[in-house]
Amino acid sequence: MAIATPPTPAAAERMELLAKMWEGRPGVLGWFTTTDHKKIGLLYFWTTLVFFAAGGAEALIMRTQLAQPNEKLVSPNTYDELFSMHGITMIFFFIIPMTTGAFGNYLLPLMLGARDMAFPRMNALSYWIFLASGIFLYTSLALGVAPNAGWFDYVPLASRQYDPGRNIDFYCLGIIFNSISSTLTAAQFIVTIFKSRAPGMSFNRMPLFCFAMLAAAGGLLFALPLLSADTIFLFLDRNIGTHFYDIARGGSAYLWQHLFWMFGHPEVYILIVPAFGIATEIIPAFTQRRVAAFPLVAIAELLVVFIGFGVWAHHMYATGIPTITAIFFGSATAMVVIPSTIQVFAWCMTMVLGTARFGTPLLFIAGFIFMFVIGGLSGIMFVAIPFDQQVTDTYFIIAHFHYIIFGAAVFPIFGGMYYWFPKVTGKLYYELPGQISFWILFVGTNLLFFPMHIVGLLGMPRRQYTYPSGMGWSGYNLVETIGGYITAAGIILLIGNLVVSYFRGAPAGPDPWHGATLEWTTSSPPPPYNYAVIPKVSSAYPNWDEADRAEDRAKLAEGTFVLMDGHEQVAVTPVDGTFDEVVEMPHDSPWPPLLALSLLLVFFMLVLHKYGAAGIFAVGTVLTLFGWHSKEPQEA
Amino acid sequence: MSGGDYVAGGRRLGDVPRTTAATGPAAVRRAIRRRTSPSAAWWGILMVIASEGVLFAAMIGTFFYLRFNNVHWPLPGDPEPKVILPIVLVAILSTTSVLMQLAWRAARAGALGLVRVFLVVALVVQSGYFAYEATDFGHELRATPIDRDAYTSIHYTLLGADHAHVFLGILFNVWLLWKFARGITTYRANALQAITWYWHFVNILTWVVVGTITSAAVG
Repeated sequence: MAIATPPTPAAAERMELLAKMWEGRPGVLGWFTTTDHKKIGLLYFWTTLVFFAAGGAEALIMRTQLAQPNEKLVSPNTYDELFSMHGITMIFFFIIPMTTGAFGNYLLPLMLGARDMAFPRMNALSYWIFLASGIFLYTSLALGVAPNAGWFDYVPLASRQYDPGRNIDFYCLGIIFNSISSTLTAAQFIVTIFKSRAPGMSFNRMPLFCFAMLAAAGGLLFALPLLSADTIFLFLDRNIGTHFYDIARGGSAYLWQHLFWMFGHPEVYILIVPAFGIATEIIPAFTQRRVAAFPLVAIAELLVVFIGFGVWAHHMYATGIPTITAIFFGSATAMVVIPSTIQVFAWCMTMVLGTARFGTPLLFIAGFIFMFVIGGLSGIMFVAIPFDQQVTDTYFIIAHFHYIIFGAAVFPIFGGMYYWFPKVTGKLYYELPGQISFWILFVGTNLLFFPMHIVGLLGMPRRQYTYPSGMGWSGYNLVETIGGYITAAGIILLIGNLVVSYFRGAPAGPDPWHGATLEWTTSSPPPPYNYAVIPKVSSAYPNWDEADRAEDRAKLAEGTFVLMDGHEQVAVTPVDGTFDEVVEMPHDSPWPPLLALSLLLVFFMLVLHKYGAAGIFAVGTVLTLFGWHSKEPQEA
Repeated sequence: MSGGDYVAGGRRLGDVPRTTAATGPAAVRRAIRRRTSPSAAWWGILMVIASEGVLFAAMIGTFFYLRFNNVHWPLPGDPEPKVILPIVLVAILSTTSVLMQLAWRAARAGALGLVRVFLVVALVVQSGYFAYEATDFGHELRATPIDRDAYTSIHYTLLGADHAHVFLGILFNVWLLWKFARGITTYRANALQAITWYWHFVNILTWVVVGTITSAAVG
């Protein structure tokens, strides 16, 4: 039983005092200055939904353009901007910030039994920089100079010679700006996981969702600087005349591709591994069974990202790399099957061995497993180098990675939205519309992406704004477009269901699913301090450990381990989770949004080539940092 | 109020220091001594080092990638890099690792005066190094512009990025001095430990960068 209601009047007093201590500034201003991980998670959630809508609209325009041959809805130039912005938006402004920024921020401290992240102000900063980078990038679309050389932006197409506008400058700076936000999030997650767990939560007792977040954060931390280096070089080539990618002056166009895919392939696993984490939380709750092969699944989550760093050149088979190199990378790519399959078997076995109840969240996870297997099977085909060379730059590739990135990465996000909706809002969603939304999305997604395999094999190239009739592609394309609109309808139903449920849903109570992890032990929505008593943890399924939860209630009643002498949080040793420190946490702060604003101005000045003004705003940024640190947490 | 005898995660609550609440030399010394593992600040700087380390790995990788893609390196007409002076200078800069470590040691002991002394001496050496290198960078840039070819592109970018990291470290130290001018707290001591590690990283990094750049003069 959860500590949603205080066991004694004294406990009620303690909870009230904690609430006062941890509550941030009220009202709209409070959202600007908040350092509460839950509020930041919600800010991320709403902002990424807006970007998801933008990326989705771009996709629908493209699908409408391709519904029939010789269509003239958009010009070739507009189409270039649409597919570039669609890719950039969905990867950098929807999936990563949704999984890490929204789900990770909201849930990680709750699952770890912490009161907040390790660096709450930095956490706020990562959100504000994310928002600022989105504003920066979408300004380019509004001005008609959006990135137009694809999300992987190959040189020499992206060089100044062939793309002289500001489009690619917006790409370079927008990506670097966004990377700062993701790097902050990644660093934050790793330190929080190592230092801010509840005492007793040794590494082997950490929920699998947290392992997935650790894997994604590690991937981001090590992969993003490669992209930053790549885009810095391109920005310098385009704006101050360096020659990193200029073959005529000793540079290399391959260099862009190597650095890009050294980042880009781990990125794919960074996108999907949080989805694995969501699946490993929903499955035990809806089967009421511990996940089969827990240690193997935990290792597999980390291993997928680790192996992901050694496979990048399989994106480059068509560039003429040596055969021996291609074989090496093909073999490395085949290795990814091992940790992926371990997880698929573990999920399936847990469902078979438990008592699976196919509520909406589990339906989405079942759909995810189905599409992950299809996407995985088409992915493993690329290990066959001649086959890869044959289908490179065709719709077969688009089909494969959308099965992975939409079917496998986004379906668990939808499942997770339903699963944690009662925790975040305190309301239950409507089950029947939820299930209908799943089936619409499942049908729509498969109609949208499966025929792309066929048109790809029939030779339809990607990134063409139109195609002639008589190629045998028209029917498939029409079906894909219909699938696209059905998918959009499914998403609208899903969001609509959650909005209506928020206003009219039945009260959920603290633990409607009898979930396994700590967040279900506190009230819905959780109070600002998360846990009145720092929870006791004896396993990776702490909500099912009745004796520990009873002990927490007793501790609250007698005032033990409540930590209410200040804005306090515990810190532990990184592996064993031994109780090590009590630290003061920062309060609300206006500095993170101000810092993000000054950085936004720096980036705007850079794209306008006003380097002096950029320098002035950079000095402003440094002064803001001094202001930030003028008050220490214990001085508040 | 918080139940001093309660045992959580293998340790009595009363034995666990309220570290960041500790202010003043004696309290800071006691709090840090009772802590058994590095602070979150140390972990934080480790993340910075990891991330920046990969950024430099990408740049150094680029240097050698371009080198092995060209027959001549430096490219024809480019000046050879200096060898002796940069090595002497980086050796001098490296002494600041010792000074920073001594400052952190003094902070752990609660010796506020010594912290300030070591920080000031380190800052003088670091600023001297940066002033000379920045001036030299400007001179070199005027003699051989960055937009000549791929060699000059990576040469200046790598060197400039390294200098920028030294400059950032100097800003960190100015900030530390500003903080320690107002006394000592565990928060400040944690920051000093983190920035000490940052300087260890920058000093090692500068050796690697100088080694990479001077390698163009060998063979």
